Amino acid sequence: MEMGRDLALLAPELTLAAAAMLMIVAEMFRAARLVLAIGLAGLAAATLLTLPMLSVDATVFGGTYRIDLISGWAKLILLPGTALSLLLVRAEITGRPREGSVQSLVVLVTLGALMLSGAGDMMVVVIGVVLTGLGSFALVAWPRDDAATEAAMKYLVFGAVTGSVMIYGLTFWFGGTGSTLFSELGQLQGQTLVTIAGLIAIIVGLGYKGSLVPFHFWAPDAYQGAPVSIAAYLSVITKAAAFFAFAQVLRDLPRDGGWPLALAVIAAATMTYGYLAALVQTNLVRLIAYSSVAQSGYFLMGVVALGASGFAVPGILVFAAAYVAMNLGAFAVVLLAGRDLGDLEGFGRTRPWLGAAMVVFLLSLTGIPPLFGFVGKFYLLSAAVEAGYLWLAIIGVLNSVLALGVYLRLMVPMYRTSSTEHPSEVGAVLTQGTVVVTVLATLLIGLAAGILPGP
Amino acid sequence: MPLLTIATFLPILAGLALMALPDRSTKKAHTVSIAATGAVFLITLGIWARGIVAGDFAQVEEIAWIPAIGAAYRLGVDGLSLPLVLLTSLLFLLSALYSARIGERAASYVVLMLMLETASLGTFMALDGLLFYVFFEVSLVGMYFMIAGWGYEERQRAALMFFLYTLVGSLPLLLAIIGLYLGSGTFDMRVWVEGTTLGGLPAMLALIAMLVTFAVKIPAFPVHTWLPAAHVQAPTAGSVILAGVMLKFGTYGLVRFAYQMTPEAFAQAGQVILAFGVVSALYGAFAALAQSDLKKMIAYTSVNHMGYVVMGVAIAALATEPRIRTIALDGATLQMVSHGLVTGALFFLVGMLQDRAHTRGIGDFGGLLGRVPWLGWACILSAFASLGLPGLAHFPAEFQIFLATLNGMPWGLIAILAIVVTAALYLRAIAGVFLGEMNDKWADMPDLDRREKLVVLPLLVLTVLIGVAPGWLIDMIHTTMTGLGN
Repeated sequence: MEMGRDLALLAPELTLAAAAMLMIVAEMFRAARLVLAIGLAGLAAATLLTLPMLSVDATVFGGTYRIDLISGWAKLILLPGTALSLLLVRAEITGRPREGSVQSLVVLVTLGALMLSGAGDMMVVVIGVVLTGLGSFALVAWPRDDAATEAAMKYLVFGAVTGSVMIYGLTFWFGGTGSTLFSELGQLQGQTLVTIAGLIAIIVGLGYKGSLVPFHFWAPDAYQGAPVSIAAYLSVITKAAAFFAFAQVLRDLPRDGGWPLALAVIAAATMTYGYLAALVQTNLVRLIAYSSVAQSGYFLMGVVALGASGFAVPGILVFAAAYVAMNLGAFAVVLLAGRDLGDLEGFGRTRPWLGAAMVVFLLSLTGIPPLFGFVGKFYLLSAAVEAGYLWLAIIGVLNSVLALGVYLRLMVPMYRTSSTEHPSEVGAVLTQGTVVVTVLATLLIGLAAGILPGP
Repeated sequence: MPLLTIATFLPILAGLALMALPDRSTKKAHTVSIAATGAVFLITLGIWARGIVAGDFAQVEEIAWIPAIGAAYRLGVDGLSLPLVLLTSLLFLLSALYSARIGERAASYVVLMLMLETASLGTFMALDGLLFYVFFEVSLVGMYFMIAGWGYEERQRAALMFFLYTLVGSLPLLLAIIGLYLGSGTFDMRVWVEGTTLGGLPAMLALIAMLVTFAVKIPAFPVHTWLPAAHVQAPTAGSVILAGVMLKFGTYGLVRFAYQMTPEAFAQAGQVILAFGVVSALYGAFAALAQSDLKKMIAYTSVNHMGYVVMGVAIAALATEPRIRTIALDGATLQMVSHGLVTGALFFLVGMLQDRAHTRGIGDFGGLLGRVPWLGWACILSAFASLGLPGLAHFPAEFQIFLATLNGMPWGLIAILAIVVTAALYLRAIAGVFLGEMNDKWADMPDLDRREKLVVLPLLVLTVLIGVAPGWLIDMIHTTMTGLGN
C-alpha cells in the first residue's frame, strides 16, 4: 500500500524518467524529431500531473524525498523551462550530429534538478548533484572544439572537487544526528562545530551548482564554450534547482548556528562581484553569465531568511519562476542576435519586436516594476528585511543600480542607428516562439502575482 | 462607472491599439494621441464633478491583486491628488496637440507619451504602496526613452544621467515601502497615512529613505544636477511633462508619504527639511541667473519654485497652530499646480522659439516683440507669473507659504531674496530676447499659428484665473488640508 502511494505521488518524476529512457532509445535510431517529440510530451505530461498535487505536503520513501510546496512549484517552473530549452536546442543545432543525445541529456539533467528540488535526505542531494553534473559536463563538451572541451574540463574538475568536499562534509551531519534525513537536523542544536562542517559542505556543493562567489569560476567559461541554448538551459534550470535544494536543506537547520550571517555575506559578495564583472564584459554570453552570477546573490537572500520570514520560500519560488522566464528569453534573443556586444548595435531598430522583448527581459532582470522580476526581488528583499538583514536588503537595492549599468550597456546600443545586418537565421521560428512565451510570462505574471505562492 | 481606472488605463490602451494597427502613419498616430488625451481630460473633469470628501479619499476603486501580501489595486483621489490629476490630463492633452508636428517615428513617440500619461495619473491616484511604486518606476522608463529617442544632440548622455539619478533615487523608497508594509501588514496607503504605522528609529529611517527619493525627484539642492541636463536635451513636450507633471511626483510624495506617513519623524527633522527648501529656493534662483540658455534658465527656476513647496511642507510640520499648518499646506499644493501651468507654458514657448530659430541663447535674439507679438506677450505674461507677480498664478501660492513661514519660522523668510533674483533674471531675459535692437536674422520669423495658440492659451487663461480668483482651486485643496493640518 505504502509503495503504491509513494509511486502515485512520484508520477511526474517517473513520467519524466520514462520519457528520458524513450528518448535515448529513439536516439539510437537517430530520429531527432521523435526524440524532441517524446521529450516535449514527457515534460507536458509531467507538468499536468504536477498540477493536482500542488497542495500536497508529504514525503515518500521513508522521508527521503519530499512532495511539498517547494518541489511542486519547482516542477511547474523547471519542466516548462526545460521544454523551452529543448526548443532552443532544436533551433540552434538542428540537423547536427548527436542532436538527439543533447535533447535526452537535457531531460536527464532536469530529472536531476527535480531530485535536488525535492531532496529530503543527504543522499538524494548527492544523487541530484551528480546527475545534474554528469549531464551538464557532456552538454558543455558537445561542440567538440577546443573552447568547449576546455570549458567542460574546468567544469568537471570543479564539479568533482566540490562534490567530494560536499560528501565528506555531510558525513559530519550524519555523525551528529545519526540519520541522513534533513528533517532530523534539528538535533544539531548546540553542536556548533558539526553544524558548521556540514554547512560548509552544503555551501560548497550547492554553491557551485548555483554559481555563488567564490565557486562561480566555471560558469562564464562553461556558458561561453557551450552552445548558446545549453548555456541558457544551464543558467536557469540547474541554478534554480540548487536554490530549491538550499531551501529544502536549510529550512530544518537551527538558525542559531550562524549560517544566516555567513550566507548573507556570500550573497552580498555574489551580487556585487557578479555585476562588477559583468560591467567589463564584451562577449554577450559572458556578460549574461556574470549577470546570472549576480542574480544568484538575490536568490541567496531568500535562503538567508529561511525560517525567519514567511517571504523566504515564496520569494525563492517566485524569483525562480521570473528568472527562468527572463533569462531564457534574454538568451533566446542572443541566439538570434549574435554572441558579441557589437552584434546588438542597431538591433532594436532593425528588429523592433525582438528589441522590445529584449528591453522587457533586461528591465525585468534589473527589477523594474511591474515586470515579473520585480515581484520576485520584492519578495526576496522583504524576506531579508523581515529576517533582520536590513543591510543585506540595502546592498541588494544598491546592486540594482549596478544591474542597471550592466543592462543599459545592452539597451543603449540596440537603439543606435547602425549598418549591422540582422538577418533571420535557420530555426528562427522556434527561437522567436520561445521569446514570445517568455516575454508574455515576464510581462503578465508579475501583474497576476496573486496566483503564485505567497507568505 | 470606475472613472479613475478608465482615466488611468485609457491612454496605454489607446497606445496598444495604435501599435496593433496595420497603418501606423504619422497622421493616424497623432489623431489617436489627441483623441485619447482629450478623452482622458474630459474624464478627469468628470472625476472633478463627482467631487471629493473631507478627511478621506473619495471615489475609491479597489480590486484584490496579491491577496497573500495585502497588496491590492486601489485608486482614489483627495484634495492633494485631484488638482494634480487635472493638471496632468491638461498638460498631456496640450502636449499631444503641440507634438502633432513630430514626424520622426511618430507612432513610437505617441505610444511612449500615452504610457507616460498612464504612469503619471496612476502615480497620483494610487492608494496602494506597491501600485504607487509600480507607476512611479514605469514613468522613469518612459521618460528615459522619450529623451533618448527624440531629444537634442547630447540626448543619450542626458537620458542616461536622468535614468541613473532618478532610479538610484527611487530605490530607497522601495525600502521605506517594505518597512511600512512589514509594520502594518498591508500595502493600503489609507492605513499608512494615519501616520501610526512606524515610530521611533524605524520611522526616522523610513523618512530619510523617502526624503532621498523625493529630493531627487523634486529636485532639491544638492541632488538637482540631473534636471538642467535632462531638460536641455529633452524634446519640448518631454520638458513640459517632466517639469509640469513628473517633478510633482516628488512634492506629492513629500506630502503623501513623508509628511503623512511618518509625521513625528518629519516634525523632528523639520528644521533640516526647511533648510533644504530655503537653500534650494535660493540656489535655484542664483543658478538660473547665471544661465544664458533659456531652457536651462527655466529648468533652474523649477528648482527655485519647488524649494518653496518643500518650505511650505516643512513649515506645516513645524508649526504648532493648525491654522498655520493648513495655510502652509494649501500654499504648497497650490504652488505645485501653478508651477505646472506656468512652467509648462514657458517650456512650450521656448520650444516654439527654438522651432523657429534653432537656438535658445538669450544673446542670439533681440527686439522680437515687434516681429512676433503673440509669442512675445505670451512669454512676458508667463515670465511675470513665474516671478510671482500679484494677480498671476504663483502669487497666491507663494503668499500663503511666506505667510505661514513668517508665523512659524521667520528665519526662513530669507528665501524671499530669491524672488528678487528671479525678477531680475526674467526681466533680463525678456529684455534680451524681446526688447532692444532687432536682430536682422529673425526678420521673417513667423508668429504663433493657430495650433500653437491653442496650446498656450489655456495655460495663460488658467494662470490669470488662478491669480485673480484662486478660490475654486484653493477650496478643493483646503477640503483635504484642513484635515491634514489638525
